[in-house]
Amino acid sequence: MTPPLPPRSRGVIALLEENCTVCMLCARDCPDWCIYIDSHTEVTAPTAPGARPRTRNVLDRFAIDFALCMYCGICIEVCPFDALFWSPEYEYATSDIAALTHEKEQLREWLWTVPAPPATEPNAQPPREVAAAAKAVRADYPGGFSGSS
Amino acid sequence: MPLTDVQIQGAGGAARLAPEPIRFVLNWGRKYHLWVFNLGLACCAVEFIATSMGRHDFISLGVDPFAPGPRQADVMVVAGTVTDKLAPAVLRLYEQMPEPRYVISFGACSNCGGPYWDSYCVTKGVDQLIPVDVYVPGCPPRPEALLQGIVTLQHKIAQDSLADRRRRSPWARVRKPPAAALSRPLLAPPTPGPADSR
Amino acid sequence: MTADELAAAATTALGVAVTVEDAYPPLTLDVPADRWVDAARYVRAELGCDFFDWLSAYDALDEGFAVVVHSYALERHHHLALRTRIPREDPRLPTLTEVWPGANWHERETFEMFGIFFDGHPRLVPLLLPDGFVGHPLRKEFILAARVAKPWPGAKEPGESEEGGATGRRRMRPPGVPETWGPPE
Repeated sequence: MTPPLPPRSRGVIALLEENCTVCMLCARDCPDWCIYIDSHTEVTAPTAPGARPRTRNVLDRFAIDFALCMYCGICIEVCPFDALFWSPEYEYATSDIAALTHEKEQLREWLWTVPAPPATEPNAQPPREVAAAAKAVRADYPGGFSGSS
Repeated sequence: MPLTDVQIQGAGGAARLAPEPIRFVLNWGRKYHLWVFNLGLACCAVEFIATSMGRHDFISLGVDPFAPGPRQADVMVVAGTVTDKLAPAVLRLYEQMPEPRYVISFGACSNCGGPYWDSYCVTKGVDQLIPVDVYVPGCPPRPEALLQGIVTLQHKIAQDSLADRRRRSPWARVRKPPAAALSRPLLAPPTPGPADSR
Repeated sequence: MTADELAAAATTALGVAVTVEDAYPPLTLDVPADRWVDAARYVRAELGCDFFDWLSAYDALDEGFAVVVHSYALERHHHLALRTRIPREDPRLPTLTEVWPGANWHERETFEMFGIFFDGHPRLVPLLLPDGFVGHPLRKEFILAARVAKPWPGAKEPGESEEGGATGRRRMRPPGVPETWGPPE
């Protein structure tokens, strides 16, 4: 039975792997050294003639050891790409301490429990992402408000 | 098999042949009345106390917080940071608990040192000293997380069989430990130094 | 009393140059180490600081150790900190247990954490550290061994699976571990 949890409750950390660019900022800033990241670089062929081949980092392993984690949230604050989220789930006690190290598959499962961000104050400025998305919608609307077709 | 034989180590090879309903009943009785000894060392102890109070109430799960000490306890909840100075005391309290005994490690500090993993005087996890049955993560874990940890322990006890406990116990190869091995001399007070002003 | 008045009064009473630092509350009186007990007696008797709060030290690297006592005057309602510097090579100070008996355990803790000997202390043995602990943990040169033993997950560069992948680039050391320490290569 879940009690009424306050918004932004800290229970467990979820990872959106698609957003992660393996910048390693979370692993470096974690005070407990409990985020383990392995990755390799991949070179993609140039798409157009004359373009450079692009390298990107591919995540092999992203694990958070929740036995060590102190739920400070530094990793979530510092991530520049919004790949980590708080989730209010707290019921994951185990008999085996190795099972408390959650790999990226399990961290993705926690994503489905991440709540929507709390609503902003009435009359407050909307977050920049929301304003940009609204502007993009208006520009794309056929015969849109911007006036250009 | 009389019920009194269950609590004594060396219940005999016949325990292995105990029929399933008896094992179910014995485990059922054991898991739904656990006397808990709170080894409250730090902040997690307060969350443990909160769980024992009216709002979260683990007494409704059958866990009794009124064990007068480790000698009358079934489960020990290690809540808080275990320092190197206290480690021998934690071990001694665990050894004072009679079998069958269980340990719940509550919070990050007792799981593996937690935020103080790099300290010079912190034991990195109480499982370096004593065997732990359930690890509850959190810093500190919510009271509801302790309730889920207790339920996990109850599932574990339900799977328990006397043969497994005998195998895990330090007395596994001995039919009956001698009484001398189980008793300890009284702790002597520390010898005062010259002109001790304490 | 302002900081300057206090400095002047203390200098007159003790006969040595006493400076007062006003950077952080409470006011900090800096006295030389050879007048340590006299300064403490002055602070307790003349300035009325009869409540002993804490005694500790900090490692000031080249300048030695600085030992600080914080006390409070219950009747006059003011705090005061008393500080002295002692050299690193010979860290000794007379004990303050004659002035404030509460300094007993604080001096024991300062002794085990920094290695500062308090002459005249009735029982200068470690207080908090386990038996057989080697070293003085709060000195700046004390390395936390756990930070050396555990490989730092942030040492890997983005796009690296194991340590040793990035060659020719300066390896990042975890915070708190000096260059001379490290796992055997």
